[in-house]
Amino acid sequence: MATTLWDTTGTDIVNALLAERRTAGALASGLALSLVVVVDEKRVQEAETAATVAAAAHPCRLLIVVRRSVDADNRLDAEVQVGGRLGPTEAVVMRMYGRLGLHAESVVLPLLAPDAPVVTWWHGEPPEQIATDALGVLANRRITDCARAADPRAALKRRAEDFAPGDTDLAWTRTTPWRALLASALDAADVRPSGATVGAEAANPSAALLCGWLNSRLGVKAGVDETAGPGITSATIDATRADGTPYGVSISRPDGRLATLCRGDEDERQLPLPRRELGDLLAEELRRMDPDGVYAEALAAFTGVKGIATRPAARTHVWRDPAWAEAGASS
Amino acid sequence: MTNPLRDPRDRRLPRVPDPCALVVFGVTGDLARKKLIPAVYDLGNRGLLPPGFVLLGFARRDWGVGEFESLARDAAQQHSRTEFREDVWRRIADSLCFLPGSFDDNDAFDALAAKLIELEDTHGIKGNAAFYLSIPPPAFPVVLDQMARTKMADNAERGGWRRVVVEKPFGHDLESARELNTLVDTVFTAKDVFRIDHYLGKETVQNLLALRFANTLFEPIWNSHFVDSVQITMAEDVGIGGRAGFYDNAGAARDVLQNHLLQLLALTAMEEPVSFDAESIRIEKLKALNAISLPEDKKSYAIRGQYDQGWLAGQRVPAYRDEKDVPKDSRTETYAAVRLGVETRRWAGVPFYLRTGKRLPRRVTEIAVVFKRAPHLPFDATDTVELGHNQLVVRVQPDEGVTLRFGSKVPGSAMEVRDVSMDFLYGESFTESSPEAYERLILDVLLGDQTLFPRNEEVDASWQVIDPLEAFWAGSEPHKYRAGEWGPTEADDMLARDGRVWRRP
Repeated sequence: MATTLWDTTGTDIVNALLAERRTAGALASGLALSLVVVVDEKRVQEAETAATVAAAAHPCRLLIVVRRSVDADNRLDAEVQVGGRLGPTEAVVMRMYGRLGLHAESVVLPLLAPDAPVVTWWHGEPPEQIATDALGVLANRRITDCARAADPRAALKRRAEDFAPGDTDLAWTRTTPWRALLASALDAADVRPSGATVGAEAANPSAALLCGWLNSRLGVKAGVDETAGPGITSATIDATRADGTPYGVSISRPDGRLATLCRGDEDERQLPLPRRELGDLLAEELRRMDPDGVYAEALAAFTGVKGIATRPAARTHVWRDPAWAEAGASS
Repeated sequence: MTNPLRDPRDRRLPRVPDPCALVVFGVTGDLARKKLIPAVYDLGNRGLLPPGFVLLGFARRDWGVGEFESLARDAAQQHSRTEFREDVWRRIADSLCFLPGSFDDNDAFDALAAKLIELEDTHGIKGNAAFYLSIPPPAFPVVLDQMARTKMADNAERGGWRRVVVEKPFGHDLESARELNTLVDTVFTAKDVFRIDHYLGKETVQNLLALRFANTLFEPIWNSHFVDSVQITMAEDVGIGGRAGFYDNAGAARDVLQNHLLQLLALTAMEEPVSFDAESIRIEKLKALNAISLPEDKKSYAIRGQYDQGWLAGQRVPAYRDEKDVPKDSRTETYAAVRLGVETRRWAGVPFYLRTGKRLPRRVTEIAVVFKRAPHLPFDATDTVELGHNQLVVRVQPDEGVTLRFGSKVPGSAMEVRDVSMDFLYGESFTESSPEAYERLILDVLLGDQTLFPRNEEVDASWQVIDPLEAFWAGSEPHKYRAGEWGPTEADDMLARDGRVWRRP
């Protein structure tokens, strides 16, 4: 079921959504959250696919906001979907033209599911400062993806400077399987770590966060070795047992699919460690609605930005008008 | 020392068991093929198996590991919950072992013991092994004796842990259950024995505890002041299948009432545990089970039935006595309904109606808490004719979720109040397709978490409820009910006598 609305208003979208829900019956009544996706026109398809996968695990009201050129005339187009091609979810895709894009929250606010948590996900270049986007200010969790930035390492630094509890990044989500393997390797032995290395392609933000994590948890200096990729290709921890004998953990995944695990004096073992799809990453993020303190520590450890975990969780909207920049340039 | 990479806040990281072997006796059986092997695959697919994991099959087949692998592969492909992925399977297939042998064959068990020692080197399992007894109850003593003889079950012998998983039935009466418990507990230690009641692995059953103890809304009314009665139903539409040999000796009360229904009752009736660890929950469940009282008038309040021929789901089905391998004069019950009491301050005077049966119209398991009617209704009597009791229904399977039934005004100019349902569908707010019960339970066994496993005291207490019923029923003829009906009319009379009716699930 879908309704397409051209040159419409926020109120009409609310009514269309209500009408769609009635037609669909009890199809989608148990919403766990609202997911706001900020995305460029060319990535709408990608975001929809990922959100559909994630929605299979966490039924949500999906609100996709596509901001078109600020210079165009103000206009709002919308497509309302309930239980259609986007899976067990209610979705509204909104295209905002002109200066309406700067006030996207005026359309989104009445569409949020009542009293359910709000997650905002920027599928594209992460915002410079989240407080300048009202869609980020109203969210409980904010998901960015530094891997999509032109300079991922610089983007991580920005994320640390701009951090507030409740922020998270898909570059961090990508490290989970690696972290799980490393953590369970240290479950098996009582050891004192002395060093750690991560191998990854140049400027990989996940490798940086994995290093930051090892750094903050183990209290050792962890470094990144540059490799050809794809993504993270290896992780090692050097340690000594209580009796002084060395205990090493190494995981290597040169092909992005199959990993070889070696720990202590056990035999080598092969196990699948595939790079995960965007939808799986998003689904993992939507599992928890509380701030991820471990991420904050890893981010702080890598970037060297201090005291980020104790910042206030709420942001205040900072108004930044693109017209100022133009005015500044012309004067 | 604690692992520096672990942090209680870091809940993205899954708990993964130590390297270990899972030894399945009777690995060619139905349960292993339909539930155990697929569950192992699903765990592997979710990355929850340890790097050194071995699935070791033991059965009386003249097989090599090749045949076992193709059986396991088919099982995983057909019955696994998650998508079948070749590279995940390859990894599990690499760690399959098979040992042929019968249970009285000393050589086979010596070979098994030797194999477990060999696996310590090749797979680094460090002596950790869980033994899954997926075998008929008469074979238990033989296998357990073999394990004692080869010291396979001895934790101290090789280091690491040795655990055993036992499927129901846990005996057929109090005496035999005690014998079995003593045997298992002497071969293994009590903390290493895991009795599987797969109902307890279901998400909704665990959700019952969350519902009761994580909310302020329900617990204040969860007592005899507000609750009129509780109905616990487990209905199956199937007959006895090929299990005539076992079923005809057991019957519905031993097969279902003794374990599943009494466990559900215990979880519904128990007090709040002081914490959520296995021991605290066990203490509270045991208190509830020990407080169960049987009806004085068993003739009216303990009804058993046996299905006659009839029509079910558009098909003609035979009577129980005409099923294959069932004696023509069998007096085994396929339906049991009983009124129990829970003698505590919380539940004094609240009847717990339990029923279970085969060849009932649909497969459903649910716990319905029926509340008292409002003490005063400020409406005309005619306005509320259609208003029933408020109900809170925990749907265990299928369609897992919770339903709340309450009165609501019918839209229109007249004041009319009618019952409506508010539904929480488990799969709707959290569709992360809930793990299969066996998946969860096997993981818990490998992690050594006993929270969801009944202990031998609970088995004891349940038999103390069932034995007097069986004694009362012995020698009597079960009431007949037509296949495809909700049980014998005597069961309806039982509730009618108390001024109540069974809920149609």
